[in-house]
Amino acid sequence: MAIKSVKEVKRKEFYIFSPFLRIFHWIMASQIVILFATGLLITKPMNVAITEPVFSITSMDLVRDIHFTSAFILCASLILRIYGFIINKGDRLFPRVWEGHFYEETVDVALHYMLIRPHHASFLRNPLARGSYAALYVLLAIEILTGFAMYFMTNPSSTGGMLFGWVNVLVGSEMMSHYIHHYVAWFIILFAIGHLYMVIRAEFMEGESEISSMFSGKKILAHNPKDANELD
Amino acid sequence: MEKRESLWEAYLRRGFSRRSFLKGCVALTSLMGFSTDMFSKVVEAAENKPLPVVIWIHGHECTGCDESFIRSGAPLASDVVLSSIALEYDHLLSAACGAPFEAHLDETIAKYNGQYILCVEGAIATKDSGVYCMSGGHTFTHLLEKAAKGAAAIIAYGSCSAYGGIQAAKPNPTGSAGIERFVGGKPVVKVPGCPPIPEVMTGVVMHVALFGTIPPVDGDGRPKQFYGNRIHDTCYRRPFFDAGMFAETFDDAGAKAGWCLYKLGCRGPETYNSCGNLRWWQGMSYPIQSGAPCIGCSNSNFWDEDPFTARLPQYGKLGDADKIGVGLGVLTAAGVVGHAVASIVQRNSRENLIDDEHHD
Repeated sequence: MAIKSVKEVKRKEFYIFSPFLRIFHWIMASQIVILFATGLLITKPMNVAITEPVFSITSMDLVRDIHFTSAFILCASLILRIYGFIINKGDRLFPRVWEGHFYEETVDVALHYMLIRPHHASFLRNPLARGSYAALYVLLAIEILTGFAMYFMTNPSSTGGMLFGWVNVLVGSEMMSHYIHHYVAWFIILFAIGHLYMVIRAEFMEGESEISSMFSGKKILAHNPKDANELD
Repeated sequence: MEKRESLWEAYLRRGFSRRSFLKGCVALTSLMGFSTDMFSKVVEAAENKPLPVVIWIHGHECTGCDESFIRSGAPLASDVVLSSIALEYDHLLSAACGAPFEAHLDETIAKYNGQYILCVEGAIATKDSGVYCMSGGHTFTHLLEKAAKGAAAIIAYGSCSAYGGIQAAKPNPTGSAGIERFVGGKPVVKVPGCPPIPEVMTGVVMHVALFGTIPPVDGDGRPKQFYGNRIHDTCYRRPFFDAGMFAETFDDAGAKAGWCLYKLGCRGPETYNSCGNLRWWQGMSYPIQSGAPCIGCSNSNFWDEDPFTARLPQYGKLGDADKIGVGLGVLTAAGVVGHAVASIVQRNSRENLIDDEHHD
């Protein structure tokens, strides 16, 4: 007699994410948490209750150093992302805006997420997710550009100052770089809340190893995804 | 003045000693931000270079820069104006006025074509053909274009001529803008500040006067020796910043004790100027030293980056970005929970439907 809670289901395993992308993902996730927390503390620092600077454990200095170190770790880890991008097709799941079906599929997925349609077609990565990750990279790029523009301008004639100083001119002033850096950080956190929910939801609703794929690199899908050809 | 004398000749004419001339050159060298290695070059230039002709015009501004300039202590502004440069035309400092005065400007421009230094204070009023700033019966734009054509070098004094100034603040009714786009592509040395530090003003004009070249400038056209550092990085209150000791309000113990003004909106970390090292009135003080947070008056667009007393802009009752961010975060989290519940309800009803079909 078959056990009631055991079902035989036919599923296919798709290897998508290279180890480089996966390591990068977790470095990025941890560094974003650190960067956001220290960033808020830099904007509105805690006041240490001491009477002389010499008694301080250099609180603000320490917070800033953690922020900068974390930022450098995040930027360095981009090398992993780029290497994975080069060697593995699964690391290159772009929002294919140049292909007509992208838009129909986006509407399809959006209608499903608005609970108007009961389900959407199966994807390795659905077009909305693709769009949102592309947007995250844009936000990251803004953070990196404005961040280094502020960081290196301690010495405007240094190499770093030359490389990133133009950002301050482009946005109008250095204070504007601070504002943009701060505001975009909040958007990244809003993305993170949405992202966290969507992967947990996918796991909960479909049970297609959405979360474990970022550890194992594999998705185990019950349906044949429409974008499976992108792995060949 | 037919034969234009050099600084040394001017000293000789007045009966000053060689010793006092050399002392003057030492002072000039350090004022222009040079190392002492450059001393011999400064002496050489002061001996040989004829005093430069300077035309100093004023546009859309408050003449506060001149108020600053005439308070320069080393060199004294009077020394600069009367013996270090040949100031031929100046809206504020000239004794002459009226039609002869304007005619003298045209004469000067024609006579010293390609040789004079043009100092500009004040912005250009660009809206409505420039009628919001008139000078000598013409728009200031006209005057600037005329004077810039034959200038050997152009110095933009003050944040107005560099970036547009306070009158360029939103909604900028006069279309106020910096002079850079109106000088026919000539390089402009920007000496921003509202006003600039007096010694910076005299230092820059003396550099151009003595060496005939514009000083080394950064990407934005500001002289590196005066605008190469943030006020934050030269501020004597920096240790309090690093230690995390901040004045929270203008009347608390921290403010009284002279702690860092960062939390009161100090723009020192974004502002490039010499307030931290040169200070004002011969090194007497500067805004931060007197307990007022820097407002970043030498920055482009500082006038629209209010409030000056907070790190982040305020959006009325909504508060600043952090408050709004927390609000949006909570809303997103609530939306996510709602969506999760609705998703489960939808899935269950769908499964029930399938189950029902099986039963039939």
